[in-house]
Amino acid sequence: MDIFSKPKFFTNNTKGENAELLVELNSEYRDRRKDAVKRVIANMTVGKDVSGLFPQVVKNMQTEDLEMKKLVYLYLMNYAKSNPDLVILAVNTFVKDTDHVNPLIRALAIRTMGCIRVDKILDHLCEPLRKCLQDDNPYVRKTAALCVAKLWDLDQERAIDNGFVTTLQDLVSDSTPMVVANAVIALAEMQESSVNKDVFVVNVAIMNKMLAALNECNEWGQIAILTSLAEYQPLDSKEAESVCERVVPRLQHANGSVVLSAIRVLMIFLRYLRNDEFTNGLIKKMSPPLVSLLASAPEVQYVSLRNINLILQKRPDILQNDVRVFFCKYNDPPYVKREKLEIIIRLCNDKNVDQILSELKEYASEVDVDFVRRAIRAIGRCAIIIEEASERCVNVLLDLINTKINYVVQEAIIVIKDIFRKYPQRYEAIIPTLCQNLDSLDEPEAKGSLIWIVGEYAERIENADELIENFLETFLEENSQVQLQLLTATVKLFLKKPSQSQEIVHRVLQTATQEIDNPDTRDRAYVYWRLLSTDPQAAKAVVLSEKPPISVDSSADKLSPGLLDELINNISTLASVYHKPASTFMGNKAFSADAVRKAAVADARDEEQIMGEDTVTSPTAPAASAPKNVMADLLDLDFGSSEPVSTPVMSPPTSNSKSGPNYSADLFDMSSDMSSGGSDAFGGMGGMSGMSGVGGLNIGFQQSQSQSQNQNTATSGSSNAFGDLAGFGGFGQQPSAATASQQTQQQKPTQSSTVNDLLDLF
Amino acid sequence: MDSVHLSQQKRHLERSIFSRILGRLWGDKEVRILILGLDGAGKTTILYRLQVGEVVTTIPTIGFNVETVQYKNIKFQVWDLGGQTSIRPYWRCYYANTDAVIYVVDSVDRDRVSTAKEELMAMLEEDELKDASLLVFANKQDMAGAMTAAEVSDALGLSTLMNRQWSIYKTSAVKGEGLTDGLDWLINIMQK
Repeated sequence: MDIFSKPKFFTNNTKGENAELLVELNSEYRDRRKDAVKRVIANMTVGKDVSGLFPQVVKNMQTEDLEMKKLVYLYLMNYAKSNPDLVILAVNTFVKDTDHVNPLIRALAIRTMGCIRVDKILDHLCEPLRKCLQDDNPYVRKTAALCVAKLWDLDQERAIDNGFVTTLQDLVSDSTPMVVANAVIALAEMQESSVNKDVFVVNVAIMNKMLAALNECNEWGQIAILTSLAEYQPLDSKEAESVCERVVPRLQHANGSVVLSAIRVLMIFLRYLRNDEFTNGLIKKMSPPLVSLLASAPEVQYVSLRNINLILQKRPDILQNDVRVFFCKYNDPPYVKREKLEIIIRLCNDKNVDQILSELKEYASEVDVDFVRRAIRAIGRCAIIIEEASERCVNVLLDLINTKINYVVQEAIIVIKDIFRKYPQRYEAIIPTLCQNLDSLDEPEAKGSLIWIVGEYAERIENADELIENFLETFLEENSQVQLQLLTATVKLFLKKPSQSQEIVHRVLQTATQEIDNPDTRDRAYVYWRLLSTDPQAAKAVVLSEKPPISVDSSADKLSPGLLDELINNISTLASVYHKPASTFMGNKAFSADAVRKAAVADARDEEQIMGEDTVTSPTAPAASAPKNVMADLLDLDFGSSEPVSTPVMSPPTSNSKSGPNYSADLFDMSSDMSSGGSDAFGGMGGMSGMSGVGGLNIGFQQSQSQSQNQNTATSGSSNAFGDLAGFGGFGQQPSAATASQQTQQQKPTQSSTVNDLLDLF
Repeated sequence: MDSVHLSQQKRHLERSIFSRILGRLWGDKEVRILILGLDGAGKTTILYRLQVGEVVTTIPTIGFNVETVQYKNIKFQVWDLGGQTSIRPYWRCYYANTDAVIYVVDSVDRDRVSTAKEELMAMLEEDELKDASLLVFANKQDMAGAMTAAEVSDALGLSTLMNRQWSIYKTSAVKGEGLTDGLDWLINIMQK
């Protein structure tokens, strides 16, 4: 037998092990008792229930053997809750230990007492605690300070009545920085749960004490002090300056959390600064530490990058010249690369755009598909942010398309669509190149983008009808996004080149209304059909209306100022990493979907206010809030008068579309569907936003409304056409404006017979 | 004693040499003594009078004290348990492996002497204590109106005890009188 083997704390016979331990714990031999305690702890750590041995273990608590004492303390902390009555057996020993000559034991005892969250021990905690708060040894004092917070958590009244809160407040003026820092930690935590919020109010005196201790305590203390400093509201700019000056040296600290905490204080105090020179100097000083954070481990980098993202949104002038440090290294983990890309885009300006473009082009040739796609999107965002660079961006994108790598091409086309929207009529020359890649597109978004381009520039593309035709072959199999685009593009094509595409548009509308179950697609087809049949000129005004250019400010990742300020207040916390307020994921609210939704609504409201009515709907924001509202307006206008609709029953479109009654029944269904579940349907459509035909429709409508007050009769006719659309009452009416009706008559002969039939129906 | 030690070792062969050496150094068998009695009888004062030879200021013991007392080359591990009503139920946790019980009675407190008797009798009925000797200290003899040892003995009904080695001494922990006489008796009994 190997007698050199390690001592065995786990025995194999589980049956009666506790009984065996019980005997051992009562042994007359000290070493056997100690072994037994070790075995008890070993069992405890693997989750076996040894709470039954409580009195026997506690019997071994009074010993000069520090190791044994610590083990028993550990046991006590774990099992005090399951033996609340027996805990008093330990009290005398605790009290004695808080009088021990060794300060480590004094601190250990008071700490353990604080950790035993049993009411019965509170009666006996107060005296030792009072003693330890006045202890000569700073380590004991700081441990006692934390113990006050623990007592507070269990019984606030007792903590106040015994004067512990006052003593703790006095400890902020302690001569030892470590004690100051821990008193601050305790007070700050108590403040959070206090009713009157008067436990820890940072005033000038406290602030000065904290500043004095700041440089001398460990990183935990520094973080705590900096966090509390951030709560302070300086009286004037001068005072804010002096605080900043004292905090700036913390930026040199090796610990990233200290640096970020210092950054937080500075970011908050920047609000109070009135001295521009000082502000600029401060901002210069904040860049290098942020750059050095990027030399840390990837996880720290990630946290730093998320925070830098916030800081840049608030202060775009920080890190102005440091874009190079955010260039991705080949071995950066994907999550770091992603955040770096975000920041590169934020730092992009007309001076560094060339550098950034060549870097992004490199990224686009990497192997990580997701990263490549993001890089290509970033190129597009560069083009949209910096007008002067747009041509270079387009050239880079063309180069990328020429690589013929499937996903690169698809992503580039999506991005080019956005560039077209931002700079209409500027880069049509590249359309042929795009169209060459028609066959390689298999993703709905890329397909949709190219179809949109074809529709938008149909008059410049000679074979636009062939292209559309080509896509239409698979119309029914396509994703609804592509179907919608195809629908819109076909109508555009028809409006631009009526002669070539009558047959196509007829076929598409018929397929869409009869064979497609998706209400979005089907209803849009109905709207187009109705528009075309009533007043093609109005259709033109709606479908081909000039779309406002997209702006980069509405990009989805831009936070609202209110939220941004809140997140700046929480730099270096989880909130700043999630970019969400702590209330959405902390405490009992964390799982409440209601709270999250409420916050989101409040957020959206903020955004609306900022974006205003004039700003453009975002191209990418999913179901952005602004268009939704406009949609709601539209809904009221269009369908508010459709009271006759009494049975909001949804029936599938019948195949026999030629017969009149069926048709009107379908239209009936359509309008009833829209007026009952209308907001939903429109919300979904709003998701397609500006790019989609209906988005264009609502914008066109707004325009036509404003223009109708001028002398433009044609568009006033179009607004009347909307009136028609609104209800049955209008169905039989001809467009009131004479010019419009004339044009309708002129159009008639060129239109397909079905359209005529349809018109005749009314 | 050494042979006992070795047989213990055999049962724990898996232990390392290191702990065996420690076992030799620290493993001396301790004589375990419990000091029991109602609250305020003077148990803690007696414990520290025995250990350090001085009167220390004490507070009511919530829980227990344990000290090693060296007397006449014998190491006693002396346990002083709190006497308050709330703690008395837990005395039983400490009975195991006890060689002797010192029962301390406040000789001035005539009102509670019957309570003291009840607690004593309940304790002596415990199986774990059937081999333990009983030493009664009629304490606080320095105070006026104290009962004599004989009076205390009668009040506790010591003479009715069967199969128990017992003795009673009048003591004054404050003055340090009578304590060593009691211990001498204990040593004498245990060495037999």
